[in-house]
Formats: sequence, structure tokens, C-alpha cells
Amino acid sequence: MNALGFDHIEALFLAPLALIPLLRSVLRETTIPSLLSAPADSLSAVARGCLKLGGVIAIGASLLGAAGPYVAGTEAERFAEGAQIVMLIDRSGSMNETLAGRTPSGSEESKAAAAKRILKRFVEARRHDLIGVAAFSTAPMLVTPITDHIDATEAAIDAIDRPGLDYTNIARGLAMALSMFKTSEADLSRAVLLISDGAGVIDPKQRDDLKAEFRKTNVSLYWLFLRTEGSRGISDQSAGDDESPQAAPERHLDLFFRSLGVPYRAFEVESAEATEEALKQIDRLERHPVRYVETMPRTDLSASAFALALVATALLIVAKLAEVGLGVNGGAR
Amino acid sequence: MRPDLRDSRLILLMLAMLSLVATFLAPKIATQRPSFDFLAVVDITGSMNVRDYSASGLPVSRLDAVKTALRALLAELPCPSHIGLGVFSERRTFLLFEPIDVCRDFAPLDASIEALDWRMAWEGDSRVSAGLFRAIDMARELKSDLLFFTDGQEAPPPPARGAPTFDGRASEVHGLIVGVGGYELSPIPKFDDRGREIGFLGVDDVPHESRFGLPPEGAERREGYNARNAPFGAAAAVGVEHLSSVKEDYLRSLAEKTGLAYAHLEDGRRLWTDYAAVASLRPRKAAFDLRPLLGAAAALFCFLAAAGPLLARAFLRARQARFHRHLQPGR
Repeated sequence: MNALGFDHIEALFLAPLALIPLLRSVLRETTIPSLLSAPADSLSAVARGCLKLGGVIAIGASLLGAAGPYVAGTEAERFAEGAQIVMLIDRSGSMNETLAGRTPSGSEESKAAAAKRILKRFVEARRHDLIGVAAFSTAPMLVTPITDHIDATEAAIDAIDRPGLDYTNIARGLAMALSMFKTSEADLSRAVLLISDGAGVIDPKQRDDLKAEFRKTNVSLYWLFLRTEGSRGISDQSAGDDESPQAAPERHLDLFFRSLGVPYRAFEVESAEATEEALKQIDRLERHPVRYVETMPRTDLSASAFALALVATALLIVAKLAEVGLGVNGGAR
Repeated sequence: MRPDLRDSRLILLMLAMLSLVATFLAPKIATQRPSFDFLAVVDITGSMNVRDYSASGLPVSRLDAVKTALRALLAELPCPSHIGLGVFSERRTFLLFEPIDVCRDFAPLDASIEALDWRMAWEGDSRVSAGLFRAIDMARELKSDLLFFTDGQEAPPPPARGAPTFDGRASEVHGLIVGVGGYELSPIPKFDDRGREIGFLGVDDVPHESRFGLPPEGAERREGYNARNAPFGAAAAVGVEHLSSVKEDYLRSLAEKTGLAYAHLEDGRRLWTDYAAVASLRPRKAAFDLRPLLGAAAALFCFLAAAGPLLARAFLRARQARFHRHLQPGR
């Protein structure tokens, strides 16, 4: 049982008024020469008692209802299918171009706008996920922490099709995304969803740091690579053994991600439909029991109080309608 | 015998019953409640690391002072208010998220403000005027007010001539330019490539004069002046650009140009009064719960039905007594 609370406790200060029906009846007074003229009868005593009580209840319950009583809601821990996901979104300038590498015109959609539309649908479909948003260009930025407040996550996704910044610095972005997970929740299913339209070269020192960090946090990684038409892709054939990471950053980044030792999938997409399909696959993969807190709404008790007051008032009205005058001045007040 | 329908106590009981029935039929009416929407844009350039504020005896950086004040401001706002957050560096304003409900989404909003960091800055330059003008555009698009937190330190210094011009309509967006920083010059912390603090900026670390555009007036009197080869004079300018204080005059001039108001950052409560003075009120639909009033009315009607005659009699007696007292001296 939870704590009882009142919205307007001041109404209860008037509660002593509810005692007045004990002293005064709502019925008319009648002059009778002597009380002895009426025989004592227990039924009348019960009726009188009921009417007094009815009056007390009518006033008391009305005031109680006015005070707005409620039982506070609880926070219940529940389990559902879902995951903790950090969306790491590329905000470099090229995200504002279309998948064909042009400035969007007419009905064309920029990569960022397509990502926004599809990610929002993804978020809405997965209500039990805890989602955080980070953005990166030259520097990483924590946008919203991992949270179950979907409105906040959506507001962060809404902002991603605004003009982007400079370059793509994936390593620092990934480090930021990993730092957003709390180590205390290592038993939950956790994933980083990297959405970018390009890759960068990660220097060897950062490679080692990232690898250690990924192993420690045990976070799976999904790379949604929005490939611009005609540019290099993840699965392009190697140009030879002496190919440097600078020449084919996408392929080398993919190789690096494979070497991390955590669950990893790359989705190379060239159209909005393919992006959607990739997210559907991620949706299927990231379904593990996840703990979440559901806030139960509070229970409003004022309706019951008003119902009680209504019954009591109705009783008084019935009594009032049934009253008859006695003696000569029966009709008088 | 038929009941007396004109009995005032029956009527009172009927009214009580009607009020109680109304709590079930019309528990709420729609009203409008004022709220505030604003976009907070925080300068995260290097000079915001200057520690010239203090909290419980310890020096804190300007950025931390902004975060504390902003979080205190959130707690003051009436409920359906919406807050967006952006950061400023270089010459651009970067929107982190669009305005969200300050009450329902307080936890993520608070955490996002806490996470603001100078390391988010994508470039070291600080073109306050350009950033401000973009922030104003953004606030207009988001239909919000603007709170722009900056110390007004342009880095590199603005050109001597050709002050930035504001193309938008002045006063179209309401809000504040909040000047952050002390009035005394303070040293600016310096960081290495890995983000560790390594002392303070020295006099040789920063340019002290803009060499873009036309030279300032009087440059021809400088030593080594040559109209073609050395229009700014031969000697490198030395100034105090490696130290920082809040540039109030500059920020006031920007405020005048853009129709925003200027306020100096003290604390959250001061910020709230400063903002409330210029904020645009946004009435939002809200439901007003009638049930407490209806319940109180029902209780009052029942009470009068029971105690009415008693009160009426007491009232009459009091009047009679007064009447008699009134008569007595006349006798």
C-alpha cells in the first residue's frame, strides 16, 4: 500500500463543519405540545440516526473529495525485449547531401533527413529501449544521455538534419558512445548504432584504446554505412597488400571493427529503403530481456468520495421529500 | 401531504446533489496557462574555461557557472515550458536537440546540460557575432526565445573596421544575451592535444590584432607603416587578448543591434528574473480541475441546509438586539 496524498489538503480544514448535522436536522421543525405524545419507538431512533449520519457523510465526503485524495503511483520494475542503444550520428557536412552525392532539391531527401525519418520510426517501434544519442564530427558531443524519455530522444533525432559541421572523427565519437554506458549495467544487452556516410582513419594508439574499451564494456556494434553513389564501399576488393588505410578507409574501418571481438554487423546501404531494411534486421537482433521501470499512475480516490457524498445527499433528499407536517401549522417552517 | 418543493433546505440539498453529479459529468474545463519556450545556446570556446566565478569558496569556470545557473533556471519554469539546447563555437551554432518539455523530460535535459564540455568544440575560433546571428535564426525557426551565453571574447580579435551587420529583423526574437565572466582580466587555461590542462595562455599564444580587412584609422602613424607592404605597421601588436573578461560593451552593442536584452550572469534566480522581464509568454492549453470547487460547493450547500435555520435565527436575534439597543436611548 502506498502513501495516501491530497492535492488540496486545505479543504480538510473545513471538516469540523461536518459535525453540524449531529446538532441540527435538515428536516422541518414541528411544534408538538409534548414529546410524551409520541411513543418511544426504536425505528424512529434508527431513522433519526441514519439521517444525522447521512448529513455528516454528505458534508464530510464532499470535503474529502474536494481535497483530492489519491494513492501515489508505484514504480514497478519490469522486463521486456529490448536493449540499451547509443545512436552515434555523423554530423559532418556531407550528411546534408543526398545518397547520390548532390545537394537535395525538390523531393530529394538528404542523408540526414532520411536517417532522421527512419530513426524516428525505429525509436517509436521500440518503446522499451533505453536510447542515448551522441553526435560527432571533428569532436564528439553527448546530445542526450541513455534514457527512456522518448520525447527527448526524438527531439535529438529531429535536430540531425540541420547543417552539419566539419569532418568525420569516428574514433573519438566511438569513445564518447562507449563512455555513455554505465559499467554497473553490464548484464544488459547494449549496442552502439553508428550512422555515418564515411569512414576515417583511426590511428594505432586509438585503435588499441578502443579495442580495450569495447572488450571491457562488451557492447555490440552496428555500422549503418550510408554509401554515397559511386564512392568506395566496405566490401570493395582490396587493391593489393600494400593498400593503406588512407586509400580505402571504409574497408579498413570494417576490418578494424571485425577485429574488435564483439558482435558486429555492418550494413552498407545506398537507399532509404535499404536503410529501413537494415534497421529491421537490427531490431530483430537486439531483442534481449531488458529491465525497465514502469511508473504506475496514481489512483484517484476523489470519485469514490463524491459517490459516497452523492448517496448521502440523495438519502437526505428522500427524507426531505417524505416529510409531512403534523398538527395545525404543519406546513409552516 | 405533498412535499413542499419551495422549502429552501430542499433546494440547497438539490444544489448539493447537482454539484456532486457535476463532478462526474464535467470534472475539468480547458483553460490557458502561460509557459516559456527558449533555446539556450552556450559558448563552449576556450575563454569559457576561465575560472572567474566561485561556488562555495572554490573557483569555477564560466562554463560551469552557466551550467549551474541554467539548471537552476529550469527548476523555476512553469510546467509546460519547452527548452532546446545548442552550443556555439567557431562561427556556428550547433543544435543538440529541439525544445523538449522541461517537466516531463527533466532528467535527460538536466543530464545534457551537465554534459556540456569545451571538448565538444569543433574549432578553436570564436566569432561571437556570427554565432549569435545564426542562433537568432535558429530560435526563430523553432519559435522560441533565445538565451545566448557568452563572454563576448572574439578570437581572433574582430577586424578594426566593418562591424558585423545583422541582416535579420531586430526584436523578432525575444531573449537575452547573457554576459558570462568577471569584470577583471583573468588568465585563460591552456590544454594540450589530449585535453589536459597545461597552464595558461601566454601573451605570444594568441593574435592581438586582426590583420584582415582594412587597417584601423591612424595606422599610417605606426612605426614601419607602408601603405602596400605593411599597412598595419611593422611591429606585431601586443595586447591583452591572452587574458579575458566579460566584454560587456561589445555584447550590449550586439544586443542593441538584434533587439535582444543584455544581462550579466550572476546566478539562476537572477537569470530567471532577467529572462522573465523580456520573455514572450506562450499560453498553452491546460485543464483546470473543477472538482475541488464543486466538492466544496456541495459541502457548503449541505452545511447550509443543516445549519441554515440556526444561522438565520442567530442573525435575526442579533438584529433584534441591535434594534432594541437602538431604541433604548430614545426612550
